[in-house]
Amino acid sequence: MALAALTELEFSYPGSLRSLGPLSLELERGEVVALLGPSGSGKSTLLRALSGLVPHFHGGRFAGRVVVAGLDTRTARPADLAGTVATVFQDPEDQVVMAIVENEVAFGLENLGTPPAEIWPRVEQALASVEALHLRGRRTAELSGGELQRVCLASALALEPELLLLDEPTSQLDPDAARLFLDAVERLGATVLLSEQRVGRILELATRVLYVEDGRLLLDAETSMARDWLATNRPRWTSPSVDPAQSSTRPEPVLALSGITFRYRGGPAVLDGAELTVGRGEIVAVSGANGSGKTTLAKIAAGLLDPDSGTVKRIGRAGYLSQDPGRYVVCETALAEVALAVGGDERRAQAALECFGLGWAARRHPRDLSSGERERLGIAAVAVAEPDLLVLDEPTRGLDPDRKSKLGRWLEEYAAAGRGVLLATHDADLPAHRRIELCVGSTQALLASELSVAV
Amino acid sequence: MSPGPAAALLAAVGMAALLADRLWSVAAIAVVLLAVCLRAPAQHRGVYLFGALSTGLGVLVLSPFLWSSPDGIVLWEGPTIPVLGPLDVTTTELAKAALNGFRLAALALAFSAYALLLDHDRLVAAAGFARRSALAVALATRLVPSLERDAVGLAEAVRGRGVALEGARGYATLLSPLVAGSLERASSLAEAMEARGFGRTGATRATRPPWGRAEQLALAAVPLVVLGAVLWL
Repeated sequence: MALAALTELEFSYPGSLRSLGPLSLELERGEVVALLGPSGSGKSTLLRALSGLVPHFHGGRFAGRVVVAGLDTRTARPADLAGTVATVFQDPEDQVVMAIVENEVAFGLENLGTPPAEIWPRVEQALASVEALHLRGRRTAELSGGELQRVCLASALALEPELLLLDEPTSQLDPDAARLFLDAVERLGATVLLSEQRVGRILELATRVLYVEDGRLLLDAETSMARDWLATNRPRWTSPSVDPAQSSTRPEPVLALSGITFRYRGGPAVLDGAELTVGRGEIVAVSGANGSGKTTLAKIAAGLLDPDSGTVKRIGRAGYLSQDPGRYVVCETALAEVALAVGGDERRAQAALECFGLGWAARRHPRDLSSGERERLGIAAVAVAEPDLLVLDEPTRGLDPDRKSKLGRWLEEYAAAGRGVLLATHDADLPAHRRIELCVGSTQALLASELSVAV
Repeated sequence: MSPGPAAALLAAVGMAALLADRLWSVAAIAVVLLAVCLRAPAQHRGVYLFGALSTGLGVLVLSPFLWSSPDGIVLWEGPTIPVLGPLDVTTTELAKAALNGFRLAALALAFSAYALLLDHDRLVAAAGFARRSALAVALATRLVPSLERDAVGLAEAVRGRGVALEGARGYATLLSPLVAGSLERASSLAEAMEARGFGRTGATRATRPPWGRAEQLALAAVPLVVLGAVLWL
C-alpha cells in the first residue's frame, strides 16, 4: 500500500488565479522522489498539500483527497500529521524557533510528546546523522546558511518521519554543503519528496522524477526515463551552460579593487588583501564556500561598504542586488518596485518587467509572487537603471534552469553593451568570462585567487 | 545561572528602579544594569544600548517642556505655546525628568540584559503552565535583531538601486516594508511551527539540569530587592 496518495487534487490560494491540479499520484515507502518544475509551477504547494498546510494553514479552494499514512488531510491538521510527515522549508531562517541548536532539534520531539528520557539521545543522533553534532550548543542566529539548513534537516530527522518533504533545501548552500546535505538525505531510508532547481546531484539520488508545470503533472517516471524526457522536452534541465569566449585584449576596467581588507566589528578578518578587476564587456564570477566573504566583496565593489584598507576604483555607477531580494521589497506593486530606480518611469519599468518575464505581474503586490519570481523582480529593479557595473549576489536562488539560462543570455548581452558584471555565486551554471574563488586561509583571512579563465 | 531566576532577578531590579524615589539610587541601578549589558558581545549589544540610552535621554530632554512644576528655580523661560502653555525649565522639573529618564533607561537596560544574556530556550522550558506565552515572548525578543537585520537589508536594497536615502524622512519610507516583512516572517514561522506539531496536546519537555545554589540565592534576592527599593531607595 502506498504511503501517500493524492487523488484528483485541485487547489488554488485565496484570490489567486493560478492553481494546482487536477493531479493524482502515489508515493511508495522508501522512495526518493525528485520534484522538478519551473518556479511558480506549484511544487511548494504540492509539498504543503502533503503536510496538510494546504488547505489548513493557507485556506483557499481545495478539492480531491490527500491521504498520508492513512490520515486524510481534510480532517487531520498539520500538527496531527507532524511526526508522520516532516518538512524542511526553503528558507532556514524562517523556520527556526529556538535560540540554541539542540533545543531547536528537541522542539518537534517535545511537541509530539516524546518521553523526556528519549529526547536528548534522539537529538544527538539526528545531529550526528547530518554531521552537525559539533553545533549542538551554538546559537542558531550565529550559524551560516549551510549550517542552519543542516540543523533544520536534523530537526526533521529527529522526528523519524515516514515522509520527508524538502522544499529546495540546497538553494542557499555552496556545492560542498549541498553535497553533505544530500548525502545525509540519501542515508535516511525514509520516503523523500525533494523539490529542487539544481538537478545534477538530485538525479543521481532520486529513484523517480516528477515534473510539474503550470500546476499540471507532466512527467512521473523512473529517473533513467526522466533523464531522456528532460533531454528531449526540457533540455535546459540537463545541459549546463557554456561560458562565453574571453576577449584576447584586456578590457578597460569598470572596477578595480586592490589590497582590500575588511572585518566586521568585533569579528575576524573577512577579506585580507583581496584583488579584483572587472572590465567593460566582462562577466566575472566570484565563488567560494558559505561564509567565505563573497557578499562582503560584492558590497565593497558596489560601494555599499567601505573597506578597512585598500583602494576601490569604480568608473560610472554601480547597481547591487542583495541576496534574497524578495525579502527586501519596498513598494506596493511590481511596477512601482522596478520604477523606483528610474524616478518612477513606468514605461522603462514595464519594459524591464517584460524582459524578465514578469509583464503580467506589473500590478501585483511583490509579496504575492513566488520566490523565483521575486528574484527576477529584484534583478529587474536593479538592472532597469542600466548601471555601468552590475553586482548580483546569488542571483539564481529559486530560478529554474530555463530562467537561469535566460538570465545567462541576458547577462551576456548586458556585458556586451560595454558594461561590467560581477556575480557573487556558487552556481557554476551562470556564464562568466573569468571565475575567481575566495579561499579560507589558515588564519581565517581570505585570499582571492584566480581559478580559471574560460576559453 | 539558569535563566528563570536570572530573569526574575532582572525583573526585580527593573521594578526597584520604578519604585525608588532617589535620583542617585535610580542612577546607580541604571549604571549596574549597563555594566551587566556590557558583558554581551559587542556586535549584538549596540542596538539595545542605543535604544535604552536614547529613550532615557529623550525623557530627560522632553519632559521639562511637557510637565510643569511651580517649585524650584526657573532656569529658562520660553514662549507660550497654544495648548501646552508657557514653556519654561525649572530645577524641580529637571530633577524629575532626570529621575524618570534614569528609570526608563534602567527598565530598558534590564530588558536588554534579558534579551542579550539569557538563554530564552531554557526560560521557555521552565515556564510551566505558561509555556506558549513564554515562547511568544522569546520569539518577540528575537524580533529585535531580526528587525535590525531587515532594516539594514532594506536600506541596502534601495541604495543598491542608486536611490539615496536621506534624513529621517528617507528612512521612514522603509517602515512600512519593514513591518510587512516582519509579518511575512512571522507567518512563515507560524507555518513551520504548525508543521512541527506545535499546539498538539500531550507535549513533553526535555530534561534539564536542576537549579543550584546560585539560582536559589537569586530567587531569594528577588523580594529583598523590591522591598529594599520601597523602604530605603
